Amino acid sequence: MPSAFAFYLATIIVYGAVDSMACLALNVQFGFAGLSNFGFIIFQAGGAYVAAVLSMGNWQKSNQGFQQYVLGWHLAWPLPWIGAAIFGGLLALPFVFLVGKRLRGDFAAVGLLVSAVLLNQLVNNFVPLFNGAAGISIVPAPFTHYFNPQGLGYQFAYGGVAVVLTVLVYFLLRRVTESPYGRSLRAMRDNDIVADALGKNVRVQRTSMLILGGMIAGLSGAILVGFINLWAPGAWGYAETIVLFAAIIVGGAGNHKGAILGALLVPLGFEEVTRFIPPLSNPALVPALEWVAIGLLIIGFLWFRPDGILPERRRILSGAGKSAAAMSAPVSAESDSLINLGNLDQMDFRQLLRLEGDASDHGIILSTDRLTRAFHGVTVVSEVSIEIQRGRLTGLIGPNGAGKSTTLAMLAGTLAPTSGKVLYEGRDITSMPSNERAKSGMIRTFQLASEFKKLTVLENLVSAIPRQSGDSFVGALRGRRFWGRDDAENIERASEMLEGFGLTQYADSYAGGLSGGQRRLVEIMRALLAQPTILLLDEPMAGVHPNLAHKIGDQLTRLVASGMTIVMVEHELAIMDAFCDPVIVLAEGRVLAQGTMAELRAKKEVVEAYLVG
Amino acid sequence: MSVFLSSLGFGLISAAVLAIATVGFTMQFAVTNVLNLAYGSVMINSAFVTYYLNYHAHLNAWVAMIGGVLTGAIASYLLNRFIFTPFQRRNLPPITIVIVALGVDLVGTFGLQAIVGGSYFSYKQSLGRELHFWGMYLSTLQLIIIGICVVVMGLIHWLLKYTRLGKAMRATSANASLARNSGIRTQRVISSTWLISGALCGLAGTVFAMNTGVFVATSAQLYIVLLLAAMFLGGPGSAYGAMLGALTIGVATEVSAGYFNPEYKEVIAFVVLLGMLTFRPYGLFGSEKTI
Repeated sequence: MPSAFAFYLATIIVYGAVDSMACLALNVQFGFAGLSNFGFIIFQAGGAYVAAVLSMGNWQKSNQGFQQYVLGWHLAWPLPWIGAAIFGGLLALPFVFLVGKRLRGDFAAVGLLVSAVLLNQLVNNFVPLFNGAAGISIVPAPFTHYFNPQGLGYQFAYGGVAVVLTVLVYFLLRRVTESPYGRSLRAMRDNDIVADALGKNVRVQRTSMLILGGMIAGLSGAILVGFINLWAPGAWGYAETIVLFAAIIVGGAGNHKGAILGALLVPLGFEEVTRFIPPLSNPALVPALEWVAIGLLIIGFLWFRPDGILPERRRILSGAGKSAAAMSAPVSAESDSLINLGNLDQMDFRQLLRLEGDASDHGIILSTDRLTRAFHGVTVVSEVSIEIQRGRLTGLIGPNGAGKSTTLAMLAGTLAPTSGKVLYEGRDITSMPSNERAKSGMIRTFQLASEFKKLTVLENLVSAIPRQSGDSFVGALRGRRFWGRDDAENIERASEMLEGFGLTQYADSYAGGLSGGQRRLVEIMRALLAQPTILLLDEPMAGVHPNLAHKIGDQLTRLVASGMTIVMVEHELAIMDAFCDPVIVLAEGRVLAQGTMAELRAKKEVVEAYLVG
Repeated sequence: MSVFLSSLGFGLISAAVLAIATVGFTMQFAVTNVLNLAYGSVMINSAFVTYYLNYHAHLNAWVAMIGGVLTGAIASYLLNRFIFTPFQRRNLPPITIVIVALGVDLVGTFGLQAIVGGSYFSYKQSLGRELHFWGMYLSTLQLIIIGICVVVMGLIHWLLKYTRLGKAMRATSANASLARNSGIRTQRVISSTWLISGALCGLAGTVFAMNTGVFVATSAQLYIVLLLAAMFLGGPGSAYGAMLGALTIGVATEVSAGYFNPEYKEVIAFVVLLGMLTFRPYGLFGSEKTI
C-alpha cells in the first residue's frame, strides 16, 4: 500500500534527522574537542523528558492520573523544545568537574558512562518523578494546530521540521568548528596539556562543548518524543551511547558529514534492516546479534579504518591551494642534519614577535623562593631559590634526576609546588594556573614530542597566537566576517615564521608526520608565536642533530638580543658552553652553583656532580 | 541492630565476590594501563562454561568451577594478546582502548545471549545448611565463597610480596620501560598477569552466579559499576586497595539496602565512584601520577 509506505518513509525521515542531530552533537564533543562523553544519552533522554512534561497538562488535574510526572505546564510548541535544549545544556553542569583538565580522559569517560547507567536505574525505580519503568505515554504531538496529526501531511511536515533543524545544527556546528576556536578545540583534543601551556583554557573549552552538545542532544530528544508520544527509560540505556559512538567511528570522527553518514548507516540502518527479518523461534536472537554487530563494527573500524569512511578533512591554510596538499614529509632522522633554517637571519624578531621593552634591561624578571616538590614522599626539588634576569639566556643544567624539568614545570605552572613561591615581575604567581601564566607571557615547551598531531604545521603555529578574535565561542559564532581578516593576518605571520625556519613546504602537512628535528622546530616556532616574554625550553635540543642544534642555538642568542628572556634546561655541556649565560647547576634537587660556564668549570663540586651523575 | 547484622552478612558475601573480581580487574589496569570494560562479559561467559560442565556434563559445581576459571584465564589472555596489545602498539590514546573494550563487551555479552537465549539459568548445587550466628544468616555455600575469597586474597598477597613474578609485576606496573631496561621480560610478565587476573575473573564470574542463584546472559553487564567503584576507592592499579575497596563497597551497598529501598543499593557505589573521580582519582591513599 503506497500510504503505508509513505508513513514508513516519514518515520524514517524523522528518525534519521534525530540520529543525525545526536551524532553531530556527539561528534563535536568527541571528534573535535576530544571529549569522550559516554553519558551522551543522559542529555538526549533528559531533553526528551522535559519536552514531554512541558507539553503535557498537570497530571493530577487532567485525566492522566494513571501516570506521575513533574511540571505539566501544557506549553505550546516550540516552547517545550526550547525548554528541552536549555535543560540539556544545564544537565552538563554537574559533569563539568569530570572533564576538568586534571582527570585522565578515560577516567572521565568512565565516570560519564557510570552516570548514565545509574541515572537510568534511578529513573526506572523512581515513580513520583518519572513514573518508573513504565515511563510516560500520551505525550501530545506538537503543532497539531496546523495539521491533522493522523494525516500523512502531518508526518511529512514533522519530518520536514526535523530535517530543517538538523541542517541548522549542521551549519551552526560548522561555524564553530571551522573557526580559530575550532582549531583550539582540535589542539586540545590532540594534546590538552600542551594546549593548556599555550594559554588555552581547557576547562572552559570542554565545559562549553559539553553544554553545546547537551543542548543539541536535548533538542534531538524533544523531536523524538514529540513524534513517538512516548518516553520510557528502557529506550535510553547507556548502550545507546555506544551505538552513537559506533556511528561516529564508522562515519568519520572530526567530520560533520561523516557523523551524518554514520547516523544513517548505524543507528538508523540497523533499526530498519532488522525490522524486515522475519520472527524467529528465539525472539532475543536478532537484537542480540545486532549488539554483536555493533561491537564488531567498533573493533573492526578502529583497526582497519580508524578515520572512518569520511576522514577528518585536512585544513589547507597556506595560499598554496590544494595541489600542495599532497606534500608528504620525510621521517628519517638523517634528514635533520640537512635542515636549513631559511632566511631566519634576515628576520626582525622584535617586529615579528611583537617584542616590547628595553633589550638592555637585565633586571630580575622571574624568581623562586625555596621552591620544593615531593613525589610519594621523595623530595625531587628542595628549596630551590633562583633568579632569572631579563634579556638573558639562562641555562638550567644538572645530571639526570637533578630536578631540572620539575623546576621548569613549576615555573610554568604545569606542576604545583609542595611548598615555596614563584615570583614573576615581582608578583606571587604560585597559585596562578598554567594557562593564565601563558597568557601573561610565560610559555614553555616540552621534553617529549608535543605537536598537535592532526593539525597541519601551519595550524600548529597559528593556534598559539594569543588574543585571536575568533578564538572564543562567541567570536566563532560571529562568523568569518568578524574574525576572517584577523585570522588572515595571523596565518601570514605564521607563514613568515615558517619561511624563516625553512619549512614552508610542510605548511599543510600534518605535524604528526614530520621528522623528530622538524617537530622540534615546529614546537619552537609555535612557542615563539605565542609571544612569550619569557620562554621556558625543556631540552629543546634533545634528539636533534648537532648541526641543527647549533643553528637553533644561534637563533636563541639572537632572540635574547632582541629582548626576550629564555630559560633552557639542557644536559649537553657543549650547548651550555656555546649559548648560555648565566648557568644554574642543579644536583639532587638543590642549587649547586651558578655563574658563567667558565666559572663553573673551575668549581670542583660541579665537576664532581657531573662525574657522579 | 538485627537489620544491620543481617545486612552485614549479605555485605560480606557481596564483598567476597567483588574482591575477587576487582583484584583481577585492577591488576590488568596496573600492568597494561587498560581499563578492561569487557571484564563483565568474560565473567559471565566463564560462569556459563561452569554451568555447562555442571548441568550437562554432570560435574559437581565446585569441580565445574575449574572450567570456568580456565575459561576466564584463557579468554583474558587471548583478549590481551590479540586485541588490546595490537591496539596499544599503535600508540592510541587510552580512550580508544576503552572504546574497543566496550565493543568487545558487546560482542562477548550478546554473543553469549545469541547462543543461550534470554532464559534463566542456575547451577545444580545445594545451598547447604543455613547458618545463623552473630545475627547473620549465611548459607554453607556463601561461607565457602567467603572462604575461597580469603584464600585467594592470601595467594595474591603471597604472589605480589614473595615471588619473582610478583615483584616483576610491581616493577612493570610502576614503570614498564624502566622494568624492561632492567632486564625484566615485561611481555612475559604482562601475559602472566592476564592469565592470573583472567583466572580471577573466571572465578569471580562463577561465584557471582552461584551467589545470585539465578542468572542470565546479561547478568554481569552492570557489575562493572561496582568493580569500578571498588577499584577507584582503593586507588586504580593497587591490589590491596582493590581488596579494601571491595570490602567497603560490598558492605556499604548491602547495609544501605537493609535500611533504604534495595532498588537503590548501587547508588552508594555510584556516589563513591563519582566522588573519588572528582576529588581523589588516584585513590584514597595514592597520589597523582606525573608527566
